[in-house]
Amino acid sequence: MLESNSVQFFVHNTNGGTYMATAVIMPRQGNTVESCVVSKWHKKKGDKVNIGDILFTYETDKATFDEEAKIEGILLETFFEEGDDVPCLLNMCVIGELGEDISSFSPEGATVKEAEKPIEDKKEEVKKEAESLTVQKSENEDLKISPRAKNLADKTNVDVTYANATGPNGRIIERDIQALAKDGLKVTSAAKPAYDQTASYNATGIGGRITVEDIRKGVVTPVETVTVSVADTQDYTEEKLSNIRKVIAKTMHASISQMAQLTMNAAFDATSIMNYRAMVKNNTERLGLANITINDIVVYAVAKTLLAHKDLNAHFNGESIKRFNKVHMGVAIDTPRGLMVPTVFNCDMKSLNDISLEVKDLAGKCKTGNINPDLLTGGTFTITNLGNLGVESFTPVINPPQTAILGVCGLVTRIKEENGQIKPYQAMGLSLTIDHRIVDGAPAARFLKDLCTNLENFEMMLAK
Amino acid sequence: MKYDLIVIGGGPAGYLAAERAGAKGLNVLLFEKRNLGGVCLNEGCVPSKALLYSAKIYDYTKHSEQYGVKVTGSSLDQEVVIKRKNKVVKTLVTGVKGALKKNNVTVVEKTAKIEKKSSEGFVVSADSELYTGDRLLICSGSEPIMPPIPGLLEGYQKGFILTNREILDLTNIPKTLVIVGGGVIGLEMASYFNSAGSKVTVVEMLDRIGGPIDEEIADLLRKEYEKKGITFNLGSKVTSFTEKSVVFEKDGKTLEADAEKVLVSIGRKPSTKNLGLENIGVETDKRGAIVTDSMGRTNVAEVYAAGDVNGVSMLAHTAYREAEVCINNILGKKDVMRYSAIPSVIYTNPEVASVGETVATAKQKNMDFESVTLSMKFSGRYVAENEGGNGICKVLREKNTNRLIGVSLIGNYASEIIYGAAMMIETQMTVDDLKELVFPHPTVCEIIREALFSFNE
Repeated sequence: MLESNSVQFFVHNTNGGTYMATAVIMPRQGNTVESCVVSKWHKKKGDKVNIGDILFTYETDKATFDEEAKIEGILLETFFEEGDDVPCLLNMCVIGELGEDISSFSPEGATVKEAEKPIEDKKEEVKKEAESLTVQKSENEDLKISPRAKNLADKTNVDVTYANATGPNGRIIERDIQALAKDGLKVTSAAKPAYDQTASYNATGIGGRITVEDIRKGVVTPVETVTVSVADTQDYTEEKLSNIRKVIAKTMHASISQMAQLTMNAAFDATSIMNYRAMVKNNTERLGLANITINDIVVYAVAKTLLAHKDLNAHFNGESIKRFNKVHMGVAIDTPRGLMVPTVFNCDMKSLNDISLEVKDLAGKCKTGNINPDLLTGGTFTITNLGNLGVESFTPVINPPQTAILGVCGLVTRIKEENGQIKPYQAMGLSLTIDHRIVDGAPAARFLKDLCTNLENFEMMLAK
Repeated sequence: MKYDLIVIGGGPAGYLAAERAGAKGLNVLLFEKRNLGGVCLNEGCVPSKALLYSAKIYDYTKHSEQYGVKVTGSSLDQEVVIKRKNKVVKTLVTGVKGALKKNNVTVVEKTAKIEKKSSEGFVVSADSELYTGDRLLICSGSEPIMPPIPGLLEGYQKGFILTNREILDLTNIPKTLVIVGGGVIGLEMASYFNSAGSKVTVVEMLDRIGGPIDEEIADLLRKEYEKKGITFNLGSKVTSFTEKSVVFEKDGKTLEADAEKVLVSIGRKPSTKNLGLENIGVETDKRGAIVTDSMGRTNVAEVYAAGDVNGVSMLAHTAYREAEVCINNILGKKDVMRYSAIPSVIYTNPEVASVGETVATAKQKNMDFESVTLSMKFSGRYVAENEGGNGICKVLREKNTNRLIGVSLIGNYASEIIYGAAMMIETQMTVDDLKELVFPHPTVCEIIREALFSFNE
C-alpha cells in the first residue's frame, strides 16, 4: 500500500503541479492494435503549435491517421522518428513553454537528444568509445535503424548488423533489436561471415541456429511441415510470406486489378493427340525420344498456332502493344515454393522432342530452386495445366504484361454422333483468358478454334 | 485404453523417449521384451565399465612401483568383479524403472508386435493382448552380427563362443581368449581380459583396429597393447571355428589360434525382424535398418524410430538424442538430429576418444582443413600421472570457417574430456572464440587449448 502511494505521489509531482508541459501519446486505434508506425512528422522540435495543427501522421497495417494538437505551445521534444514503430499510449512528444523540463516525459528507451541530457564529459567519452567498438558496423551508411532501436542496441550490446529488419522500408526498429537481444543471433560463430541476413535458411544447428552446412546448402524457402500433434493446442499456424509468395501475390493482384480479363472455354477431341502420344511412347527407346507428355504436345501446338494470332503473343503496357514474331512460351510449374513460370524461348522453332526435354529440365530446376532467374522472364504467352488434377475448366490469370494465358484442363469422356452411331471419346478442355483491353472476344475465339483444330488433327499439323 | 504413444523397446532410446514424452503429459506405453535399459545398461556399455574399472585398479597395483608405491600379493577375484557389476546394473535398471514410473509410463515387459493401423490408431499385440496408440516409436535396438562361418553357431550353442552378452558374465578368466573383431567392444574386452590374466589374441579383418578412429591413434593403441601382451592379427579373415580354436587366413596363409573362449564382436545389426513392420509398411534398408529422416520420422505418418534400429550411429548417446528429437517433433516442437558432433569413446587403458572429423574423413569430404597433433606431454597433469605415457591429441580446423571440425585423443580422461570438444564442434564456435575459454589447470584437457594456439593464423 505504501509502495503504491509513493508511486502515485511521484507521478503527480512530475506531470502535474507547477509543470505546464503536456505529453501527446500515440493513440490506440482499436483493441487489437499494439503499436503504430510514425509515417510523418508535420511539426519539428521548436515549432509553434496551434490547436488543430497536425502534429504527426501514423499508420496501422490497415489505415493512416493524423494526430492533431489539442493544446497550443511549443513542440519541446519528439521522442520518436519517422519509421519508428511506437507502442500505443507511449509519449510521442511534449508541448509546453520554452525552458520547461521535459526529461520526465521520455518514454523508456526512446531517443532524447544529446542536448537535453545532463552530460558528464568523461562518461560520454567513454561511452562513445565503447559505442565505436561495439557497433562499428552501424556506421555503415546503408543500415537503416530507428534511433530508439539504436539506443536499445547500445544498451543491450547487440550487433545491429545482425538484426532482422522488420520496419518500414527495411528499417531496423526496436522490436528487431528486442528479438536479437532476447534470442541472440541464430547463427553459429563459424557461419556468421557467410550469413546473409536477407536470405532464409533451413536452420539445423543447436538451438535452431543456422550452421555452416545450412548456408552451404543454400537458401531454402520450403517450410518442412511439422507433424501436428495432440500437444499442439493452437488451432492455426501463422507464417510470414516467403519472397516468392510475395511476388506471386503482387503479380496476380496487379494482373486482375489492372486488366479486363475474360475467360472462354472450349473442348476438343483428344483422340488424335492421345494416339500420337501412345505411338511415341511405344517407340521412345527406339527413336531416342523423351517421354513426351500431353502437355508437351499442347505447348507445341500452341506455339505453332500462336503466330497466326499475334495479338495473343504480345505484351501490352496500356499504351502500346508489342507483338512478337517468336513465341517465348511461359510454362507454369507447381513447386513446393509456389508457382513458377520458366520460359521456353523460341518455342515455335523447336521440335516436340526438344520442347519436352526443355520443359522437363526447367521444371526440375524450378523444383530444386536453382533456376537461373533470366529463365523466369521474357515469356510472350503462358500455358498452365491443371488437367492432371481433374480440373474441367478454370479462369487462368494472365501473367502481365502478356495479353493471354491458356489453361489446360483434364480429359472427360463425352459422346458424339458419327454416321448415326453414338460414340464415346475423350475430350480435353481449354480455358483461354485474354486481356479484353487489347484483344476482343472473336479473335481470341478464332485462336482457340484454330488450336482445337490443330490438336484434333495433330499429325496433320506436324506435316505443315 | 488408447495411448498417445507406444514405444517398442526399452533401451536408451526407448526408455528416454518414454520418460520425456511422459513428462510432457503424453499417455505412454513402453514394451520391453528382455531387460529395461536394453543392451547398453544390461550387457554393454555400463557393465563393461564396471569390469574395466576393476581391471584399472588391479593394473594400478601391478604398476605402482614406478610411482613409489609397493603393492604385493594383489589379485583379481572375477566372481567378486561380476557380482559388483551385477549390483551396478541392478542399481541403474532400478533407476530407469523409477524414472518411468515417475513419468506415468505404462511398462509392459513382453515382446510386442505391430499388427495393423486401424481407424483407432496403431494396434500392437503382446501375448495375444491388443494395445492401441496414436503413434509409434520404434526403438528395438540391435543385435550382434553372427555370420555363417562354419562352427560358429555350434560353438555359440556350446558356450565356447560368446557375444558381448555372455562374456560379461564369465566368472572364470579363460587362459586363452580369441577376440574376433577389433572394434570398440573387442578392444575393451581385450583390455579387460588382458589385465585379468588371459592370453588374448585379436583377429581383425581390416588392417587396423578401432574402426573409424584416427589411424595414428589406432596404431598407438595397438602398440600399447602389444607391449602388454595382446597379439593382433590384422587383415585376417576367420574361416572356421573348431572346438578349441579359431582358424583364419592372413596374408594367404591359414593360421589357427587356440582358445578356451572366443568372443565374436564384429559388429551389430538393427533388430527389425518379427516386429510386424511390414504390417504397416515401414520402410527398411537392405541391412534391415528402419529408414528415418532428420526428424526421426519413418515413411509412415506418425511412426518414428530412434536408436540402433535406424542403423546410423549405433551408440547409446546418439540414441538418447534421437529419442529426444522424435519426442520433440511429436510434441510439435521442430527438432532435427545432427550427427556432426557425436563423441565416441573406447574405454581401454589408455582411453581413446574422438568427435567430428578425422584426417581421413576430412580428406574424403574435400574439406579445407589443417591438423595439429600434440603430445599429451604438453599437459602438466598428464606428465605427473602417466609414467612413460605417449598419448597424443589431434585437432582439426576448417580453414575457411576457422572452426574446429574434429578432435581425437588417446590418454586417460579422454572419455570425460571429449564432450567439451563436442560442444566446440556442435556450436561451431570459431577458433578465435575458443581461445578465450579458460581451462582448469593443471588438467589433461588443457591439451585442447594448447592445440588451439598451435594453428597457423
